[in-house]
Amino acid sequence: MDLKHVLEHHILDEVWFRLPVFNGLMPWSKHLLMMLIAAAFLVLFLPLAVRGKLGILAKGFVEAIVVFIRDDILEPNLGHVGHAYLGYFCTLFFFILVCNLLGLVPYGATATGNIAVTLALAMTTFFLIHLAGIREHGLVKYLHSIVPAGVPFWLWPLLYPIELIGFATKAFALCIRLFANMIAGHIVILALLGLIFIFGALNPWVGLVVTAPVSILLVLFVMCLELFVAFLQAYIFTFLTAIFVGGAVHSH
Amino acid sequence: MEKLLSPDIGLSIWTAVAFLLLVVILGKVAWKPIIQALEEREHALKAEREATEAARRSAEELKAVLDRELAKVQQRTQEMLAEAQKEGAAQRESVIRAAQEEAARLTEKTRAQLEGEKNRLVQDLRKEVAGLSTLAAEKILRKSIDASVQKTALDEFFRDLEKNKTRLES
Repeated sequence: MDLKHVLEHHILDEVWFRLPVFNGLMPWSKHLLMMLIAAAFLVLFLPLAVRGKLGILAKGFVEAIVVFIRDDILEPNLGHVGHAYLGYFCTLFFFILVCNLLGLVPYGATATGNIAVTLALAMTTFFLIHLAGIREHGLVKYLHSIVPAGVPFWLWPLLYPIELIGFATKAFALCIRLFANMIAGHIVILALLGLIFIFGALNPWVGLVVTAPVSILLVLFVMCLELFVAFLQAYIFTFLTAIFVGGAVHSH
Repeated sequence: MEKLLSPDIGLSIWTAVAFLLLVVILGKVAWKPIIQALEEREHALKAEREATEAARRSAEELKAVLDRELAKVQQRTQEMLAEAQKEGAAQRESVIRAAQEEAARLTEKTRAQLEGEKNRLVQDLRKEVAGLSTLAAEKILRKSIDASVQKTALDEFFRDLEKNKTRLES
């Protein structure tokens, strides 16, 4: 078993079987299971935490994040219309966060480290941007407002495709950012652990006595970093979504 | 490893469905209660803050009123004190003047009495002296007037009488 197999096992999705519908389009896989575990956890944990059944700490944690999302993410970007989207953004944050953290649990896998998952999340953001814009301005006015005000009419054929590409780019960037951040830590950890075996192949004692402690300390450090990145990326995805939706809602 | 960058569209659909369902479910069971609780708490805090503010403002108004009253009272006291001082001074002045007048009157009266006494004494003395003089003169006269003197005096008297008689007749 070489490093490639280990990496693939840890990073890639493992499709157990495909449902016999839509030409076998729908898989039943490890990442889907992780996602469902995350969703089930949220559905069980959040209502209890919110009602204070899990102690003041859990309640305070959830409340602090909700207040933060409301006052520091939605309020500056969306203004007063932001409150209507608070539930969506809170769900987005907690879903990404729990999926990220599940990757750090033994036997867990990072669903958000799968480009199909981040693509879907980015697409929901993409649609949310336009739905929020249409809801705020109406379809015609929103389509008109995609191009900045004051642009001469003859520039529209040029600018409209550019703006549309901009939307796609934003969604694509969201997708890649989350995906890359979530697998990067795992790859680094596996590479560091791989060092032990490389040096161990030279001399078993060097691998055990010299490389192993250093590698494990570094892995511990990267794990802490990953814990931080799990929160950071959930925040960034939520924050950027708020900025993009705010741009559509408060377009000129 | 090529699978890393080729998204499984089926999983994407699962993700989207799961996520949107999660949005709906959590919106009902988690976010609605917490948002309501937060808003209630914030409303309560706001109401409390406003009540505190109102209480503070009314206390300040009361204080201003009391300060004004106090200033008025102090001013009144000052005025009354000044008036009392003035009155006291005037009274003292009048008492002193009355005393001085009384003293002057007494002095005058005493002097007048003394004067009267003196005059009376002088009068008495004069009377006494006159009486004594007369007495003395009488004694002297009685002693000096003897027969010859009487005769001479009588003669002179008669002569004068005669002279007067003739003059009257002529």
